[in-house]
Amino acid sequence: MEIKKINYSKVNEELYIYEHESGLKAFVIPKKGYSKKHASFATYYGSINNRFIAPYEDYETSVPDGIAHFLEHKLFEQKDGSVMDKYSMTGASPNAYTSFTHTVYLFSCTDKFDENFDMLLDYVQNPYITEESVEKEKGIIAQEIRMYDDDPNWRAFFNLLGAFYKEHPVRIDIAGTVESISKINKSNLMKCYDTFYHPSNMVILVVGDVDPEKTLKKVAEGIKTTEHKPEIKRIFPKSHKGINKNYVEQNLSVSIPIFQMGFKDELNGEKGFDSLKREIVVKLLLEMIVGRSSSLYNELYEEGLINSSFDSDYTIEEDYAFSMFGGESIDPLKVKSKILNEIKSIKEKGLDKKSFDRIKNSMKGRFIKQLNSVEKISHLFIPAYFKGATMFDYFDVYDKITFEYASEVFLKHFDEENFALSVIKPIKGD
Amino acid sequence: MDFISSEEKVDLIDSFNGIEVYRVAVEKFKTNSINIFFLDNLSKENATKNALIPAVLRRGTGKHKSFREIALYLEELYGASFDCAVSKKGEYQIMQYYIDHVSDRYTGTDTNLFDDCFNLLLEIITEPLLENGTFRKDYLDQEKDNLKKIIEARMNDKVQYAVERCFEEMCKGEPFEIYENGSIEDLNKIQEADLFNHYKYILESLPMKVFISGDTDDNKIQSAITKLKKLKRSNIKDLSQPVISKPKRDINYVTEKLDVSQGKLSIGFRTNTAPDEKDYYSLVVFNSILGGGIHSKLFQNVREKESLAYYAFSRLEKFKGLMMISCGIEINQKDKAKDLILKQVEDIRQGNISDYEYDSSIKSIKTGLESLKDSQLAIVDFYLSQKISNTRDTLKSLYEKFEAVTRDEIVEVAKKVELDTIYFLTSENQ
Repeated sequence: MEIKKINYSKVNEELYIYEHESGLKAFVIPKKGYSKKHASFATYYGSINNRFIAPYEDYETSVPDGIAHFLEHKLFEQKDGSVMDKYSMTGASPNAYTSFTHTVYLFSCTDKFDENFDMLLDYVQNPYITEESVEKEKGIIAQEIRMYDDDPNWRAFFNLLGAFYKEHPVRIDIAGTVESISKINKSNLMKCYDTFYHPSNMVILVVGDVDPEKTLKKVAEGIKTTEHKPEIKRIFPKSHKGINKNYVEQNLSVSIPIFQMGFKDELNGEKGFDSLKREIVVKLLLEMIVGRSSSLYNELYEEGLINSSFDSDYTIEEDYAFSMFGGESIDPLKVKSKILNEIKSIKEKGLDKKSFDRIKNSMKGRFIKQLNSVEKISHLFIPAYFKGATMFDYFDVYDKITFEYASEVFLKHFDEENFALSVIKPIKGD
Repeated sequence: MDFISSEEKVDLIDSFNGIEVYRVAVEKFKTNSINIFFLDNLSKENATKNALIPAVLRRGTGKHKSFREIALYLEELYGASFDCAVSKKGEYQIMQYYIDHVSDRYTGTDTNLFDDCFNLLLEIITEPLLENGTFRKDYLDQEKDNLKKIIEARMNDKVQYAVERCFEEMCKGEPFEIYENGSIEDLNKIQEADLFNHYKYILESLPMKVFISGDTDDNKIQSAITKLKKLKRSNIKDLSQPVISKPKRDINYVTEKLDVSQGKLSIGFRTNTAPDEKDYYSLVVFNSILGGGIHSKLFQNVREKESLAYYAFSRLEKFKGLMMISCGIEINQKDKAKDLILKQVEDIRQGNISDYEYDSSIKSIKTGLESLKDSQLAIVDFYLSQKISNTRDTLKSLYEKFEAVTRDEIVEVAKKVELDTIYFLTSENQ
């Protein structure tokens, strides 16, 4: 078997790469001296993939909302009991999560890595789903959905996505609704599994003080499928220019209005390195405009319009992208008008080159800090991989971003036509 | 098992004027961090003022005259991060000032980030921006308003709120009921001159613990100590230990109504066990079997078998000798959930502990301890907690004590644990 090794001397890290004949890639990032060994087995399949044409088929399949997340819960069930119980016996902490675009199965352990890793490879490749266990899971997931229904930050986030997008499934809650999960059964779960859990659509990552060769050899032996499957056709509604609504509100039991606002982005098919580049440049711009060192942040703070909960972020995937910033405010509409005014005024006078350089350096330093944590490395690595890049590319991205590029993206992204605001308001008399 | 790593060795390197300086020498991280803690007894008299001080200090220093100037400077220091927080451990209120920075070997230029960061941290704490010999009035008023909003915003996170409210109801009349951020009533009473005097008192008389972690060399640490020695300190406050046991009383039932879609059930117990007693080690294993993870009785029965909840856990507040069980459930399932939870406690009292439950609990505790070593903040928090509870355990000695706990000892400690309060957060229409 062939193992490739890349040295990233600037950040003092190494990456070992192995490609299985099925098309699956496996990576090891050794972390000398670390106690925790963190392994992930992930598929490029998330909550937005609710319409598709499976390999060897010529018709479209449409599945209930929340099914990717439901499947994530059900994969822990095995013929001889729950995988969680087996992990408990070795002392490992197993977990899994579903995002818009991918599903990750993982464990972290300080002992018996080989045994735990074998289990991970095994259960993700061998689903055991019964009608009975599907019905039982509906009660648990219904409570997960209810918990999020009462979470004002989560609601502000999804309501804003609903304001950005008319039809795109990114506007739908990852876990679906109590109603939509009632339509989930063994047969549609298995259909999704067979379509998206082929090794060629998956990736394995191990971060920790492990022997890279030995670990990758385990992958070579543990992946059962060798054939390549034809591509899965993922179907999304036609993208639309502009937004769905520019304002949306909901009442919940909160002490102060909680808001999210931002700009839906218009993409040009950015992939791989270009996708990371756009991500970093918009994050950099957000720091320049509303970050803690910006004059606007400090003005809003001193006027009591925002507090330290205020934060910003940018998300980019192949089919959608948006910036978001929010927190708590007595007057979200005033925050909105101040931010839009500031953007208008920067558009007139141009961005500040000195701030650009300073913040770029600072973000680079903050990127290095993330390499302290095996979890954070995994959380950066997997999404970057599915975009067609590796997380270490981020480091080069900082060197490739020019002031001219930032200025160009600034003018395009921060377009008032694509701006929306979502507010969670207190219930009167609460 | 290898416990001879450097995270095991947290050295008290100097102690003077009520200041203890600890060093965590670890090279595996890419950052260095400095933590300065001030400890006080949790009291109605001081709590709100203690909570307000860090918020005011972070607004500016004599040299960096605003929050913005501090933020700009942190960016220049390659994205160093500064933060402060107020928390409680048992009946201690803790004010924490924190800074971290990338190690000089990653900046690519000749930097001295440790000195710069240490100086900034000390400057924020000891050289606040003054106007006519006291805190700037507008900054103070803004921070009073922010703190008021923080206190009011407790209800926004329902999961956390249900736990904190149950603790409060349990400990009515004891210092532990005091919220770490104080109360609005006391906030309204704070006068400027008063607060400034209190600030001087904190600086001069409250016990301080300083933790320096990372690859910082001896000379730099010595020069930091020299600076700390220049602080004028006198009459160091002698902190009192919390009262653990309380006379037995009838079970306290509390129902609170808010507009929620999920009910939150919290059940509070007195453990009657202090962290420096031998029983404490059995208590930790007991708690793990009951609700300390996926192997626990609560997870297995309340979630997996009965599908009543998505989350169900028990947690110790070791300093005050309390245990809290909490879960999110369908509102009409309250009695069923309560009975099922109390049955799990009773089962352990009856000696109903399977090999699986016992072994998994010990292993899960071990993994938890080992994992601490991968986070600088977790290492610091571990040793600070040891200081507060008057114990001198290391990770290794702790693990040996947990491993030695027998089933009989678990049953004994389970019998000592007393049900105190049953709190239910439910919807308005109930």
